Amino acid sequence: MTPRALAGLRVLDGTQVWAGPTCTKLLGDMGAEVIKVESARRLDVARGEVNPRSGAGIYPDGDPQERPWNRAGLYNDRNRNKRNICLDLTHPRGVDAFKRLAAKSDVVTESFRSGVMERFGLGYDDLRQVRDDIIMVSLSSQGATGPERAYGSFGATLEQTAGIASMTGYRGGDPTTSGTFFPDPVVAVFSVGCILAAVRQRDRTGRGTYLDLSQREVTTSIVGEMVMDYTMNGRRWEPIGNRHRVFAPQGVYPCAGDDMWIAITVRSDAEWAALARVMGRPELAEDPRLAGVLGRRAEHDRLDATIAEWTCQRDAYATMRELQAAGVAAGVATQGHQLFEDPQLVARGFWEEVDHPEAGRHPYLSRPFKLSKTPGGTYSYAPLLGEHTEVVLREVAGMSDEEIRELTELGVTSNDPTAFAPVED
Amino acid sequence: MGAFVTDRAVPLEGVKVLELAEGVAGPFAGKMMGAMGADVIKVEPPGRGDAARAFPPFLDDAPHPETSGLFLYLNTNKRGVTLDLAHPSGRELARRLVGWADVIVESSAPGRLAEWGLGYEAIAPLNPGAILVSVTPFGQDGPYRDYQSSDLVALALGGLLYITGDPDREPLKLGGQPSEYFAGLAAFSAAMVALHHRDAGGEGQHVDVSVLEGIATAQMYAGLNYAYLHENRRRQNAFAPMFRAKDGHVGVMYRQPNWPTFCEMIGHPELVRDERFRDVAARRDHAGELNAIVAEWMASQPKEELYHRAQAARMPFGYICDARDLIESPQYGARGYFQEIDHPLAGRHLYPGMPIHWGHERWELHGAPLLGAHNAEVYGGLGVSGEELAVLRACGAI
Repeated sequence: MTPRALAGLRVLDGTQVWAGPTCTKLLGDMGAEVIKVESARRLDVARGEVNPRSGAGIYPDGDPQERPWNRAGLYNDRNRNKRNICLDLTHPRGVDAFKRLAAKSDVVTESFRSGVMERFGLGYDDLRQVRDDIIMVSLSSQGATGPERAYGSFGATLEQTAGIASMTGYRGGDPTTSGTFFPDPVVAVFSVGCILAAVRQRDRTGRGTYLDLSQREVTTSIVGEMVMDYTMNGRRWEPIGNRHRVFAPQGVYPCAGDDMWIAITVRSDAEWAALARVMGRPELAEDPRLAGVLGRRAEHDRLDATIAEWTCQRDAYATMRELQAAGVAAGVATQGHQLFEDPQLVARGFWEEVDHPEAGRHPYLSRPFKLSKTPGGTYSYAPLLGEHTEVVLREVAGMSDEEIRELTELGVTSNDPTAFAPVED
Repeated sequence: MGAFVTDRAVPLEGVKVLELAEGVAGPFAGKMMGAMGADVIKVEPPGRGDAARAFPPFLDDAPHPETSGLFLYLNTNKRGVTLDLAHPSGRELARRLVGWADVIVESSAPGRLAEWGLGYEAIAPLNPGAILVSVTPFGQDGPYRDYQSSDLVALALGGLLYITGDPDREPLKLGGQPSEYFAGLAAFSAAMVALHHRDAGGEGQHVDVSVLEGIATAQMYAGLNYAYLHENRRRQNAFAPMFRAKDGHVGVMYRQPNWPTFCEMIGHPELVRDERFRDVAARRDHAGELNAIVAEWMASQPKEELYHRAQAARMPFGYICDARDLIESPQYGARGYFQEIDHPLAGRHLYPGMPIHWGHERWELHGAPLLGAHNAEVYGGLGVSGEELAVLRACGAI
């Protein structure tokens, strides 16, 4: 059997929405045992609303059906390879169960607003009482300290407050944000390594630790040169559209077909000559005003028009292949369905199909890394709400059938969100 | 958590990293491991050094290989040596460094390392526990393996470009070099996974990081919308619509329960009873009218004040921070996020620090190495004598 890199590592996962669950999904992909704790009183936001408005959410074929929370695409995207348990953490018995699970876990992750875990009685100091070498990871918006520690955010507002939006936008226009919540996957991918570094430290020293990650800070860490230009030179960046800060030309040009576009970057004088040749415009390569990058930058508007005139009647994929054959960096602005047909992503098995008992069979994105001997994979579908409550309480927390029955009777482990009014934070 | 800080955080103490990478992604992975206490030896080609040394911003806008802000940021906490991998004598030294390392990060074109006799097949017998992390635009195999790329091209092929920007304009690039940084973090985490496996009794292995697959992971919506709804997500207006405030831009975000608070805040409490804005769907249908009201009010308000007021009322607004706003952010100030780092030629400047607090311990960050600054120290440690170093230098190997 192919070994799993993180076999034997148990993660008690209290995270929600996107960044945290994606982090623990990746840990699960690599073989960790992940137990996701939810509450029927307050579902993971990614599960959507209990009674979704028409057109809200992403459900298979747009149909939420009877239990929308088990069919929500945003949830199913990032919760595979986990077991799911429902616990009401506002109830002392729910807190007790959480602690008994924490005592058997290497890592506890959470992404509540700063201070919420402490209010549950599940802060780092509380968890250390049940397991001295526990590793606790808080993935909060702004970190657990500082005047904005209790502030909320979404990926889109983090792009704004972390700096990346200030240099995103059409030239001369207002700043804007990406079409995804870019900070969430960034935080997820970074936190995997942080958690494993903490595990390594524990294995060598016997000490656990508390990791206080600020999603905003992680996002600023990917705009290093923008910050350095200010701290070294006092310069504040503005959006430059699709252009490059050095190379020219660079842009996104229209192609034949419905909303089809190609991205092209010319990174050298030689690549400029190659582009001119492929365009059938050798005179452009011979024009001394355009031979050097400074000349091409000065003429960028005109070059954009020339390139667009050439691309606009052409097939985007054929143009990409032709330019790449000539050594010019070019790529189609890939649309949804094309992602699943992209020859590179398909050849490398990027998409992994998962059969889900309530959502059906769909391809899901896999991982941003491939490990030759421990490739990891999709071992189980994103769990139904409360699907593993009993088995986890019995096998991991060591509870008797009697105790489990009590929790059920008290409603602590309810997995029926329709029984509760929505809770607003 | 208490405020007092004691020891240096070194979770990766004892880990030996050989960085054969240049540019952004590979060095960003090395930077993270170095900050965490790994011993990172960065290998650069003699003469020109890492390609990032040639990229702006430069201190005082004066191009110099030791004062690129991009290079300085990405190469903290490393020792630097020069080595020409294309030179047989250089490769001889490289093999000794490979024998020393736990983790090797490289970013050369697929197959290039193998041509130099340093591919994974050559490394494994030398050092069975070694983890080779290759970061390339498209990965080690597949039909695009030899394609040329850029940040823009990666965003395009990864599906993020198409869904960013205005619906009636061309797709728009996310600013900076997000695909490169993303791949760097993926490389860092993948190295940690592989190290964990090895230290638990497993073997070393080859980690293949594709910048394209990083973006295909990050885009999420385009893939999910097609898989679930059989429709292509298009560019749409921002998730948190932005308005011009008095001195910048503010991103507006509130949910239905916050609607009365929001109306109150913008000085139009009567809107709560306005049927045009009754719920999310109604507000979407009358977005133009509502946005006009909000825009008029917001134009006279300072951005940060709005941000704090909205947050105090539990509405997760954002405000557009440029680099100055970040440096002046009270939150970043309170957490000590920016760190002053000294460098022999570039001087003292504030750098983005580590974005995670590690218990009560503190991160210790050091300036990027001068080109070849640690040649004598590193090669001496491998048992290369001063005389041999002089010979290698004269032959152009280091």
